[in-house]
Amino acid sequence: MNRLWTVLSGLGFAVAAMMPWVTFALNDGNYPAKSTLQFFDAPFLLTGFRLHLLVIGLLVVLFTFLPLPGRPRILRAAGWAGGLISLVNGAYITFKGGGLGAITAADGKVAFAAFVGVAAGALLIWSGAKAAPGIEFSWPERPSRWLAYLALLVSFAGLLLFVAAILTSGGGITNPYSAGQFMSFLAMAAGLIAALGATGVLRWIGELSEQHRYFSLLVMLGCALGLPFTSAGNEYWMTVAVNIGVYAATAIGLNIVVGLAGLLDLGYVAFMGIGAFVAANLSGAAAAAFDIHLPFIFAAIAAALVAGVFGAIVGSPTLRVRGDYLAIVTMAFGEIFVRSSQNNIGGLTGGSNAIPGIPPLELFGTGFQESISIGGYKLAGGVLYYVLIVLLVALVMGVFANLKDSRIGRAWIAIREDEDAARAMGIQTGRAKILAFLIGATLAGLAGAVFAHKTSSVSYESFRFTESVTLLAAVILGGMGTIPGAVLGASLLFVLPETLREFQDYRLMLFGLALVLIMRFRPQGLVADRHRRAELTTVDDPVEVAAR
Amino acid sequence: MSAPVLCASEVSMVFGGLVALDSVSLELHSGQIVGLIGPNGAGKTTFFNCLTGLYVPTKGRVELSGSVLPKDPAKVTVAGIARTFQNIRLFPSMTALENVLVGRHIRTKQGPLSTLLHGPSFRHGERAARSRAQELLAFVGLSTVHDELARNLPYGDQRRLEIARALATEPTVLLLDEPTAGMNPQETEATRQLIFAIRDTGVSVVVIEHDTKFIFSLCDRVSVLVQGRLLVQGSPEEVRGDPRVIEAYLGKPPEEVAEIVEEAENE
Repeated sequence: MNRLWTVLSGLGFAVAAMMPWVTFALNDGNYPAKSTLQFFDAPFLLTGFRLHLLVIGLLVVLFTFLPLPGRPRILRAAGWAGGLISLVNGAYITFKGGGLGAITAADGKVAFAAFVGVAAGALLIWSGAKAAPGIEFSWPERPSRWLAYLALLVSFAGLLLFVAAILTSGGGITNPYSAGQFMSFLAMAAGLIAALGATGVLRWIGELSEQHRYFSLLVMLGCALGLPFTSAGNEYWMTVAVNIGVYAATAIGLNIVVGLAGLLDLGYVAFMGIGAFVAANLSGAAAAAFDIHLPFIFAAIAAALVAGVFGAIVGSPTLRVRGDYLAIVTMAFGEIFVRSSQNNIGGLTGGSNAIPGIPPLELFGTGFQESISIGGYKLAGGVLYYVLIVLLVALVMGVFANLKDSRIGRAWIAIREDEDAARAMGIQTGRAKILAFLIGATLAGLAGAVFAHKTSSVSYESFRFTESVTLLAAVILGGMGTIPGAVLGASLLFVLPETLREFQDYRLMLFGLALVLIMRFRPQGLVADRHRRAELTTVDDPVEVAAR
Repeated sequence: MSAPVLCASEVSMVFGGLVALDSVSLELHSGQIVGLIGPNGAGKTTFFNCLTGLYVPTKGRVELSGSVLPKDPAKVTVAGIARTFQNIRLFPSMTALENVLVGRHIRTKQGPLSTLLHGPSFRHGERAARSRAQELLAFVGLSTVHDELARNLPYGDQRRLEIARALATEPTVLLLDEPTAGMNPQETEATRQLIFAIRDTGVSVVVIEHDTKFIFSLCDRVSVLVQGRLLVQGSPEEVRGDPRVIEAYLGKPPEEVAEIVEEAENE
């Protein structure tokens, strides 16, 4: 009986895919002609979200009779994916394509596809949960080395294509419907991930990559470097990816301070700013304060060192203040940085004129912004920046990972968990905290140096309180204390604004809403730390503070 | 007799107008287990805090193996005094093994640079610390749960983990603040055996406890604190029979109370 419902909902998706989504009356209107009346002229030329819906529908029918491991959860995931695709597109047509008129009858034809799709999704979410569990299946716990390597290669390559597909799903900024298509694709991607998670394959891959750490790191690095060869390998996405990389590196640095040591820093982006200004001043730009042009590697080291010194200076008040009070101190520092660079104190920041004209990086005479070709394959401009930032992020990840599982990292976590107990264990908490600030700031300074050259102009406006909060949000959203979390968080916060340009007015609102929802339903972040849930800060017992 | 390992002489601690400790002295010799008992609010934990550098005594001094204690709890731990807490203070989101590894912090030396490079010396130190931590977990009987989060351990295991963590700092003196609070008789007995085993490794132990039966069967010497003063000090037998101790714990016998009331009424 239950099978009947799941089959029906699968067929519902298929029908919805075939049905017209917009009526004749609006065919010349706003919504793409493609999504309207194909059913009548070319029923088998489905593309985009309608193709996804059709595939999902057919798979649901197939899965109903196929004994898969974790079947109920797979079916439910399919229900959510199909339902959300229909909902997103239906809503998009309704709001963008002329109100509810888009789904009324005109010329005797009715466009109820969105309703059918949403209904089928709801039915599947309801009935899928009650589907008979499939077969018991456990992934081999310790597969042979080569099988593990193969699985890791395939899955990381798949991940690369998946990321590229998500990035390009909106069809680029020239496509007027990019936001709708992107969100629709995101719904399908979420369903796919959930379904894969239900089969246990994701956890298996995760365990494999733990077992073969170095191999998987290598493959991951290779896959990251492979992005320019995919559909996302154009100059636009390379630029976005470099920005993501800069913020991801910074977010990982922040993760040391907040995620490991539990010190809430609300002015962290200032360190990136310091790094950027140092690099800008040493770049030989006309507006720079010093008339020297250091090679990038030295400028970057100088940027990291200066930022690190400031990190230690800002960190020193942490010896005396804890929790909320520390957050205020760091916030004040961030504000001091913004104000003094806005007013060009010391003539180092160019004030409101910024420092423009920072020359792009060069390697053997090739500018990093130029496009290069490898073996006859022409790569988009900015690829070299992308490579640089991938290497930088890899370096920062290495620093984080090496620190986390060490004497120092454990001391930080101990301080986060219970500072007094940590002191009773002989940990010099003051020194450890300053070290956390110093290392975090150094990494941010390094990222800032790349940022300066990539954007070619450094202004105080890039390092305001909002940016600090966004970074913190990236860390919390992604999952505190984890590397993939920080990268994912940074990616989301910088990809979404790009792909959802149409909703620019609502961006901050949607962003806030997402944060609230995640904090409510998944407080440990999207990628939870394997076995510890970090606390934002340990808020001190007021009585205890008074006694101190 | 040899010189004491730990010697607190006339330690006083005053908070504002409140005299929490009034010249309390205590001597602990190598291989001894000393008990500290007293009613609630007698100043036992305050005394512990003075011994671990958490408080700096208003008067008096504390010497460990002949040298005055530093004023920083972290340095006191380095000097060789480790403690557990009355209300368990583990690092809840770390595993049992990691908790003990934190205890190894001061006995390992890897600095930031060697940590970043993860070189052979770093890995060697890390391996050594891990195997020592595993040994300690086995010593307190927790080797099967080394991968559990501290917060998920049963109460008795948490108490034992705290002891393992304290032992990881290689103390000469171990201070246990109510190690059997909330335990059932079996667990209490296991703890008693554990403390004997710790003593046998050459660590001297000071125990605060309310359970007098536990203290009298465990300790070589017992001190009784009442209202910040040392009331009695001696062997368990001496302390057990002392009428002042009975009075401090149970109050005066009814006839004496009646006399006091009578006196008060006559005035």
